[in-house]
Amino acid sequence: MFYQPKSIGEALDLKAELKERAVFIAGGTDLVVLMNRGGRVTENLIDLTHVPELRAIDRRNGAIELAGNVTYAQAAKLPAPCLALASLSVGGPGIRELGTIAGNLATASPAGDGSTALLALDTEVELTSVRGSRRLPLEKFFLSYRKTALAPDEMITKVMIPANYRSDWLKNGKRGAVNISVVAVAVALTQKKEVRIALASVAPTPMRCRKAEEAFGKGADARQAAEIVRSEIKPITDHRASADYKTHLAGVMVRRLLEHLK
Amino acid sequence: MKTAANGLWPLRFKLNGKRVSKNVKPTQTLLDCLRLEFGLTGTKGACLEGECGSCYVLVDGRPMNSCMMLAPQVQGREVMTIEGLAHGKNLDVIQQKFIECGAVQCGYCTPGLIVAAKALLAANPHPSRAEFLVGMEGNICRCTGYNKILRACELAADQMGLTK
Repeated sequence: MFYQPKSIGEALDLKAELKERAVFIAGGTDLVVLMNRGGRVTENLIDLTHVPELRAIDRRNGAIELAGNVTYAQAAKLPAPCLALASLSVGGPGIRELGTIAGNLATASPAGDGSTALLALDTEVELTSVRGSRRLPLEKFFLSYRKTALAPDEMITKVMIPANYRSDWLKNGKRGAVNISVVAVAVALTQKKEVRIALASVAPTPMRCRKAEEAFGKGADARQAAEIVRSEIKPITDHRASADYKTHLAGVMVRRLLEHLK
Repeated sequence: MKTAANGLWPLRFKLNGKRVSKNVKPTQTLLDCLRLEFGLTGTKGACLEGECGSCYVLVDGRPMNSCMMLAPQVQGREVMTIEGLAHGKNLDVIQQKFIECGAVQCGYCTPGLIVAAKALLAANPHPSRAEFLVGMEGNICRCTGYNKILRACELAADQMGLTK
């Protein structure tokens, strides 16, 4: 069955009723690709593309609040540099018009560009069901490889990003566009000058490098912080690159970003 | 709104300027729907995962990969395919410039490229070379190389600037 609710309330009622037997679909850049390959997704799809309230971008209490269906094309214009650059590094224009920030979080790919930028920005997500809403720091949202804290009746209704961080982004892949990262790095500087370092494609989920952040805060230089990052990450050898190469690359990228962030 | 009792979706949308309706399988991609249900075979499919851009169409004026959309997702929306670009026998200026520049070899990628260029030039009438490269980065051509394609797009932008 295919459902096309017109409001968040209607969508949540459906999900509460169907739970694991339904999946939300928005951009389709993961789900429809899976279906094109002959994979069966679920018997029920709840399409969120006709819920206008999920497209909103608001500024509130020093935060940028993205509703669940904000696309990469929209996010590429936000005044949050690492997120804007990460969004612009996703796919091509057609994918950026389809793919959504919340969809990227829900898929929880270790290579998620949006997810990684949002981790560096201390983002919180609002998860809503008919039972109510809860807020969760993004780091607690990613549980393990492609597993998230989303309950079967919940939807990502908001993505809340502090508006005043300085930040930057580097992505290294095999080509210049329509590119899944070999390694991607987001760094951010809070107003209190605390540094945040997040990496994609080096662990089962996008990850923060807390030890490197702490050392940098206590006076380690960019090169030393990059060395700590190399010890914190756990990349695997795959068809994109060897674990050794990713480890080396991650250090180089972190060092360059930290040198320029000051 | 949900699937009808017969398992089909009563799809209604605007296709190349005309209101159309058809009962479709809700899991049919927009690409298959356009080609199989509406006979518009200008839009191509190749990778079916968003890598190649041969399936680009405009939805409410914005470029999208029709291979990754399900047909019901364009309910009430406006879709333009390569077939909708010409006005009668008058080709769109981008189509004219592709012909003039020989920016076509096998032609499989051409509809997607022209739709991508159409979207880019609608949003940004005077793109720099770098902006063209970003606007067209989702489209792959495996025969001509890209110089003639970019040249055609730039000439189209020039001509559109003159006629405005």
